[in-house]
Amino acid sequence: MSSSTGNGRKLGEGDRIGRLKASVQNAPYAVCTERALLWTDYFQKTHHRQKPIAIQIAEALRQVLLQKSITIYPDELIVGNFTSKRVGGSIYPELHGVPVMLDLFRLSRRKTNPLRITPKEMRQLMAIIPFWAFRFVAFHAYRRPLEKIRFIANQLRAHFYLINECGGISHLAPDYEKLIRMGTDGIKAQVEASKPYSAEGSESRHFLEAVAIAAEGLALFGERYGKLATDMARAESDPRRRAELETIAGVCSRGLRHGAANFHEALQAIFFAQIAINLESLDNAVSPGRMDQYLYPYYVRDLSEGVLDRETAKSLVAAFCIKLSEIIPVFSQQLINFHGGMFNGQVLTVGGTDRSGKDAVNELSYIFLEVMNELRMRQPNFHARVHADAPPEYHQTLHTLLAGGSNSPALYNDDVIVPAMRHQGYTLEDARDYTAVGCVEPVSQGKSFASTDAALFNLPIVLEMALNQGRRFGSPIRTGIATRPVSEMTHMDHVLNAFEAQLKEMLGRLVRDLRAVEIANRKHHPTPLTSMLLKGCIESATCSTAGGAAYNFSGIQCVAPIDVGDALYAIEQSVFVEKRMHLRQIVALLKRNIDDSQAFAYLQGLAKFGNDDPAVDRWSVYAAETFEKTLRELGDTTRGGAYTTGLYSVTAHEFFGRITGALPHGRKKGQAFASGISPGNGMDRKGPTALLNSVNRFDFKRFANGINFNIKFDPHTLRGDTGVAALGGLLKTYFRRGGMQAQVNVVDPDVLIQARKNPRLYPNLLVRVSGYSAYFNDLSPAMKDEVIRRTCLSAG
Amino acid sequence: MEFGMSRSHGLHNMETGVTPTGAVSAVVFDIQRFSLHDGPGIRTTVFLKGCPLRCVWCQNPESNGMQPEIAFYRERCVRCFDCKAICPRGAILSGEWRVDYDRCNACGECCTGCRQQALVLVGKRWDSASLARELIKDLDFYRDSGGGVTFSGGEPMMQVDFLMQVIPNLRARGIHINLETSGAFPWSAMEQLMEMTDLIYFDVKLMDPVLHLTHTRSDNRMIHDNFRRLSQGFRGLQPRMPLIPGITDTERNLIETARFLKTNGHKSIHCLPYHSFGDAKLARIQSNREPFGKRNPVAADPQWVTAIFEKEGIDVVIYR
Repeated sequence: MSSSTGNGRKLGEGDRIGRLKASVQNAPYAVCTERALLWTDYFQKTHHRQKPIAIQIAEALRQVLLQKSITIYPDELIVGNFTSKRVGGSIYPELHGVPVMLDLFRLSRRKTNPLRITPKEMRQLMAIIPFWAFRFVAFHAYRRPLEKIRFIANQLRAHFYLINECGGISHLAPDYEKLIRMGTDGIKAQVEASKPYSAEGSESRHFLEAVAIAAEGLALFGERYGKLATDMARAESDPRRRAELETIAGVCSRGLRHGAANFHEALQAIFFAQIAINLESLDNAVSPGRMDQYLYPYYVRDLSEGVLDRETAKSLVAAFCIKLSEIIPVFSQQLINFHGGMFNGQVLTVGGTDRSGKDAVNELSYIFLEVMNELRMRQPNFHARVHADAPPEYHQTLHTLLAGGSNSPALYNDDVIVPAMRHQGYTLEDARDYTAVGCVEPVSQGKSFASTDAALFNLPIVLEMALNQGRRFGSPIRTGIATRPVSEMTHMDHVLNAFEAQLKEMLGRLVRDLRAVEIANRKHHPTPLTSMLLKGCIESATCSTAGGAAYNFSGIQCVAPIDVGDALYAIEQSVFVEKRMHLRQIVALLKRNIDDSQAFAYLQGLAKFGNDDPAVDRWSVYAAETFEKTLRELGDTTRGGAYTTGLYSVTAHEFFGRITGALPHGRKKGQAFASGISPGNGMDRKGPTALLNSVNRFDFKRFANGINFNIKFDPHTLRGDTGVAALGGLLKTYFRRGGMQAQVNVVDPDVLIQARKNPRLYPNLLVRVSGYSAYFNDLSPAMKDEVIRRTCLSAG
Repeated sequence: MEFGMSRSHGLHNMETGVTPTGAVSAVVFDIQRFSLHDGPGIRTTVFLKGCPLRCVWCQNPESNGMQPEIAFYRERCVRCFDCKAICPRGAILSGEWRVDYDRCNACGECCTGCRQQALVLVGKRWDSASLARELIKDLDFYRDSGGGVTFSGGEPMMQVDFLMQVIPNLRARGIHINLETSGAFPWSAMEQLMEMTDLIYFDVKLMDPVLHLTHTRSDNRMIHDNFRRLSQGFRGLQPRMPLIPGITDTERNLIETARFLKTNGHKSIHCLPYHSFGDAKLARIQSNREPFGKRNPVAADPQWVTAIFEKEGIDVVIYR
C-alpha cells in the first residue's frame, strides 16, 4: 500500500482514475465569471431588493444553480461542476470580490498563482465593479464614513491583523449524514413543520422560507445533471459508457431529493451540496469531514446486497476526491500573502471514535487512505484521527504511509482534542464527533458554525510596539498605547507589562472590528443553504450567521508566538541575566536593523525554542498563553460563542514577518516568522526528540481552535521498517504526552532545490505547507525558500 | 605515535584497566539523540573519547585521543583573531594553522568566542550525574519505541569506571543499555559491566593477526579472547563488521569470520559499509594520517558479501 512514487499509480478499472486525475492536474487554473455575473444580475433587479435579505440570497443562489453551465466530462462517475472551467474559481463580488476585481489585469500575469482569464471575461467583470464598489460586506461593517475608511484601509494593509470574515464565513463540516438520509424533500418537510412556530413576516419565517428555496434550488441543480446524462446517454455510441451515463442519470435524479438509496447516490448528493455551499458564500473550508463514518452504513448495505464491491467503492471514492481538486480560490495578491498555495481547505477525516467513545476505524477508513496515497492531489485535505485505543494496524498503516513520503494525512489526537472541546462547552458526544475544517480547526460535524479562521493576529508586532512606547520602530506616530519607555524598564516584568498592555489594546481593536463584520455578515449575507445543513438552525428558525447553529465559536489565530518567545528569552538573558547589554542598547540596535555584526551574532547565538531547554521554551508558552487569556477576557462573538485561540499561521507568518521590524533574538526586519508552533527555520538543532520535548511543553487543551505542528524528515531517516517504527515511537510519545496535531513531512531538500530552479521538472510536487498540502510550484518564491530552509531532521 | 593529535592523550593503560582520567568523569565527544542504528528503537548514543586502536579507515579520528582537543575548520575562519584576545594561554597561532597544541589545554574559551564556529571543542568532560540527567531527557521515547541508551566511542570500555557509575542510574529507570565496543579491553573490566548491559555490539574486523596489527595497530588476540568469553557468558552479543574495501571485505576474511562466529555459536552479523566522511575530519585536527579515501577503495558488492556469509550459515544485516 505504501508507494514511494505516489504520482501516477494505477487505481484499477483500466486506468479511468488515472485519466481523470491527469485531466484535472493538467487543466490550467482559470477564473469563472458565472457566479459573479449571475449573482449581480439578480441583485441589479430593483424589485428583488424589496425582499428580505435571506430570501434574496436564496433566490440568487437558486438562479446561479439553475443557470450556470454544466458539463459531464469523459470517464466521470461522480459529476458536477464548481465552475464552468475544469479547474476554476469563482468571484464573490459581494464578499472579497472587489479587491480581487481590482487585481483583474494582474491575475494572469502575476508570479504566484497565475489564473487564466480572457479579455472578454475581464470586461464583464469590470462592468460590475461600480455596482458592488459600495455594497460589499466589509463596506457595511461600519456606518460612519471615517470609520469605514479606517477599517478598509487597515484591512488592505493588514499589518496588525487580518479579518478573514470580510470574505464570508463558511468553515463548517455540513451535516451530510442528514442530507443523504433525508434528501432535500425531507429537509423541506422539516422546514414546513417548523414554520408554525414563527410569525408570518418575521425574520425567522423569512429564514425558513429561504431555506426551502435554497433546498429546492439544490435539488433542481442535481436534476439538471440527471437530464444532461440522459441526453448524453442517448447520443453515446459506446455501449459501456452509455450504460454508465444511464446509471449517472438515475443517481443524479434520485439521491439528492429523496435521500440516497446507495453508496453511489450518497457520494453524488454530497458532491452537489459541496458545490452549492461553495457558491453560496466563501469558497473555503467547506469540509465533508467524517466520510468514513456517515458513508459506512451505505457501504455495508450495498456490499451485503451484492450491488457494490470494494474495488468499485474505491473507484467511486477516488472519483469523488478528484472532483474536490476542481475548485481553486480566486484571491487578490494581498490575500495570497496570507493564504498561499491554492487551498480550499476541504477536510476529509478518517478514524477516531464514535459518539460513545468506541474506536470507529472501518474498512472505508482504509479505502480513503489508499485513495489519498494513490492520488496525492492538492485537495481534499486528508486528516486522520488517532487515539490510544485505535487498532495497531491502523497506526501501522498511517506510519507506513507517512514514512513512505505521502505527507498526508495530518494526524489529530482525540485524547487531547475531545477534552479541549469539552472545555469549550461541547457535549462529550458532540466533541467525539469532531472533524477539523480548513487547516487544523476542530469542529463538531454538522453542528458547529465556528468561523474558525475569523482573523489572524500579528503577535510580534505587539512586542515591537511594547519596546517603543506604542510606536512602530522608526515611526513618529503612536499606533498602540503609551507604555513605559525602555530606559525605565529595569525588570523583566516591566517588559512583560508593556507587552501585555499593547496586546490587550490591539486584540481589543481586532475583536471590535470583527464584531462589526459579524453583524454585517448577518445583515447582508445570511446563508440559508449552509444553515440547512447545520443542526440547530432550522430547529430555532435562525440563520447560522445569526447564531442559529448548535455551536458558534470563532477562531482567532495567534501568529508567531515562537518568535515572541525567543525574543523575550533573548531580552531576559542578555539584559537581566548575563547583563551584556542594556535594553535601550538593544532597542537602538533593532531600530538600525541590528547593524552591528558582533551583537547580531551574539543575539542570534542565544538559545532558541525547539531544543529541549525549559528556560527558553517557557517564553513561547508564555506568549501563546498570554494571547489566549487576553482573548478569552474580551468576551463572546455576536453569534453567542466564545473566541478561541488557534496556533497556526497558514502563510501569514511569512507576510507578517515581511512587515515587522527587527526583534531581539537576532531576527532582522522583514524576515519570515516561524510557522505555527514549529521552531524558527534551522533553529532546532538537537533532533526530533528534543523538538518534541519542547513542543510538549504547551498545554494544547487551551488552544481549541487547533495548532499546526510540522515535523520534517529527509526521506533517508524514515527508510525501511526501522524508520517506520521510529516514526511510530516518536508520534506515540508526542501524542501520549498531550500533543494535539502533527504533520509529518518527508521531503528531499535536493528535490526541492531542483524544483525551485526548474519548476517544469516537478509540476506536481506536493508539499505540506501549514495545515494543508500545496503544489510546490503554487507557492511564492519566499514560501519556496522557507520550505527548503526548514530544518530537515535526520537521524545519526 | 604517528598522530598529530596524540600529544596529550597518552594511551590507555591496558595492563591495569584503570582509566587515566579517574573514575568520576568522562570525556564525551558527541551525544546523538534520535539515533536509529545503534540498537533497537529510538536511542541516545554517547560517544566516549579515546580508542586503543588506530584503524587506517577510522571514520571518527577525533575520537582517538582521550582528552578534549580543539578542531580547526580552516574554511570557516575569517581571520578576525577574536580568539587571540580570548585565549588565556597564548596558544593561538596566526599562520595557516590556528592552535598551538603544545600550549593549548583545551579549555574551549576560544571556541565559545568564535563567531564563525571555526574553532570547535571536541570532547567535553561530563560527570556521571549530569550525563544521566541528559540521557533521561528522552526516557519517554525510549519507552514508547523500545529504545534506550548506547555507549559508543572511541572505545567506551576505556572509561569503564565511569560507565559503572552512570549505567546503574539509567537502569534504575528501566533504560535498555547497549555497548558498542572494538573488543580491545582487559577482561576484568567487562566482568562486572556485563551484568548491567542488555546488549553488546562487538566489532570483529580482521581474523588474520598480522593484517589486524598492520591495519589497526593492535593485536587481535585479546579481542578474540573477549569475544569467546562473552559468547559463553553473555546472552546479548551481536557481532558487527565494518566493510572496509580491500581490507575486511576480502573473501578470505569473510569466510574466516563466518566460521569464527559459527564456532562461537552465533547466527548473524551486522555489516557497516565504509564511507569516507572521516577523511574530512583529519585535517581539522591536524592529523598526519593519510586519508583512506585517497586509496580509491572499491567496495565489495553487498550482495556478494551477504552470499558468502549465508553460504556459511550466517544471516547478514547490512546497514545503509
